[in-house]
Amino acid sequence: MKLSLRRVRSVAYKEYKHILRDPFTLIVALVLPLVFVGMFGFVIDLDYKHMRVFVRDNDQTSVSRRFLQEVASSGYFDLTPVHGQLQADKALGRNDSPALMIIRSGFGKNVRAGDPAKPGQIQLLADGTDNVQAGIMGTYMQGVLQKANAVFMRADPVLAGQSIAADSLIRSRFLFNPELNSRWFIVPALSTIIIGLLAIVLTALTVAKEWENGSMELLLSTPVRPAEIVLGKLIPYFLLTFFDILIVFALAIYVFHIPFLGSFLLYMLACGVYITGALALGLVISVVTRQQQAAIQFAFAVGLLPSFIFSGFMFPIENMPVFFQYFTALFPQRWFLLISRTVFLSDAAPVTLAAAFAGIGLFAAVMIVLAVKKFKTDVEP
Amino acid sequence: MAALSAEVKNVSKKMGRAQALDRVDVSFAAGEVHGIVGPNGAGKTTLIRLAAGLLHPDAGSVGYAEKGAEVPAEKAKHFTGYFPQEPSLYPDLTCEEHLEFFRDLYDLPQPEFTRRADELFNATGMAPFKDRPAGKLSGGMYKKLGLMCVLLNRPKLLLLDEPTVGVDPVSRQELWDLVYGFAGPEMTVILSTSYMDEAGRCARVHVLDEGRLLASGAPEELMRHFGVSDFADIFLKK
Repeated sequence: MKLSLRRVRSVAYKEYKHILRDPFTLIVALVLPLVFVGMFGFVIDLDYKHMRVFVRDNDQTSVSRRFLQEVASSGYFDLTPVHGQLQADKALGRNDSPALMIIRSGFGKNVRAGDPAKPGQIQLLADGTDNVQAGIMGTYMQGVLQKANAVFMRADPVLAGQSIAADSLIRSRFLFNPELNSRWFIVPALSTIIIGLLAIVLTALTVAKEWENGSMELLLSTPVRPAEIVLGKLIPYFLLTFFDILIVFALAIYVFHIPFLGSFLLYMLACGVYITGALALGLVISVVTRQQQAAIQFAFAVGLLPSFIFSGFMFPIENMPVFFQYFTALFPQRWFLLISRTVFLSDAAPVTLAAAFAGIGLFAAVMIVLAVKKFKTDVEP
Repeated sequence: MAALSAEVKNVSKKMGRAQALDRVDVSFAAGEVHGIVGPNGAGKTTLIRLAAGLLHPDAGSVGYAEKGAEVPAEKAKHFTGYFPQEPSLYPDLTCEEHLEFFRDLYDLPQPEFTRRADELFNATGMAPFKDRPAGKLSGGMYKKLGLMCVLLNRPKLLLLDEPTVGVDPVSRQELWDLVYGFAGPEMTVILSTSYMDEAGRCARVHVLDEGRLLASGAPEELMRHFGVSDFADIFLKK
């Protein structure tokens, strides 16, 4: 079986013309990733800021005021004072605030006394219906408390000497993403999912389209071979999706200011292998279904679900049952996500990503072979 | 360069539940224009697709020969041109782009391509429409373009499935002239038609009905055989 490069090139050139002349494909391919990544990058922001909190200060001392100042200056909380129990109840009942903070009377006195058995007490009532926000609020409040403690100690050297024990807390530091900035985490991951899905959908249509408009019958009557058609169809879509990758990359760096610490070439290599696999998977779907409608549904099911569920984007793989941990290895999204996050946020040695590269490489190779093998050279139903 | 002959031996083929062809024997002698006639659903398309190697017989065989020497099916495919009945060109590609695409698929050298393309554009009168996309061609021009694409390879066996369906009488005449212009010792033509009046234009006619071959022969012979003066009467008399 001799592969004719001329025929590969002619199929690729023909496909390139189809793309250029079909505004729909072009818009989907060029605008969709921008819209999605832009939208998600701006909207999915798990860093809660300016959370509205009602405050009832029953202490009314300089210490409690100083404490509230600390809370407000953190930027995470917008404080609204309420007076009296009635107003506090109303505020919670109206559901217009996620939380109510109550400073008990005696707070200032207890803080000044510095007796570990009788600390100053603050009550935070958070709306549990939004458990994510309530959890985050609790964590942030802890942080603010620690900071306030430090401030009080500095203000009173005697106090500082006394409460060393109370201050010896666990201090976590997050490597690579010190602020645990969710945007840093989400944008590289999201680009994987969007571009991977796009790649599958784009090629899923191409062979099915030829079956539907009858051109496949004419094409199959010529000496062209399945491998030539498969390669010819992969090349232009590869270039198109690779262009997407560059756009999304630029967006991540220049618009979302995500640090890129790893090797650019390594990342581009990973992108190239990954989208080749996704494009080839689309072709397999197209070759098997032979109908555009079925192909696109198939492509979305195959492209979307594993991207979110088995890639580690939504659920950490380490927390899955053992079977599913191995199962996720079948999905290139998992491997590419690992590469993408690692290369973006750390300058890890390429060796550490060998398994991930093997994963996406193997997937791409298997899909190309499958597309060629499954390609029918007759019009038998 | 000599035309290919095709031999369909005792071929049966089911398409879905229907028995599209039932033990059909047809001999397509080299260098002639063969017409497969019959009403819709007679099995004409199935027979042509089998001859093009796009379907495989359930029973029986399809063989090819050049000057009496057998040619393997895989090799014969390189010398076979086939244009299906259903629209099968790319609506967004122009006439010239279609020819260039097929030039590469057939691996034709550029000078040879230029010569043949010019010849075909002149013969079909399509030269003024070189830059028109296939989707914007009239029915007759569309069929002509399809014919040009397959003729580019100078096939030794040309298979046309209902090339004149949906084409106005003037364009039909032009298509026939075109086919006859290329048919000869170097090219066998097998075409199907459900227009009975076109049967008379073929050198040999093969009458199909409900998957069975009723008769083969020159048009006049067949009319004598069936005792009719019009091919349509063969089916109407039943």
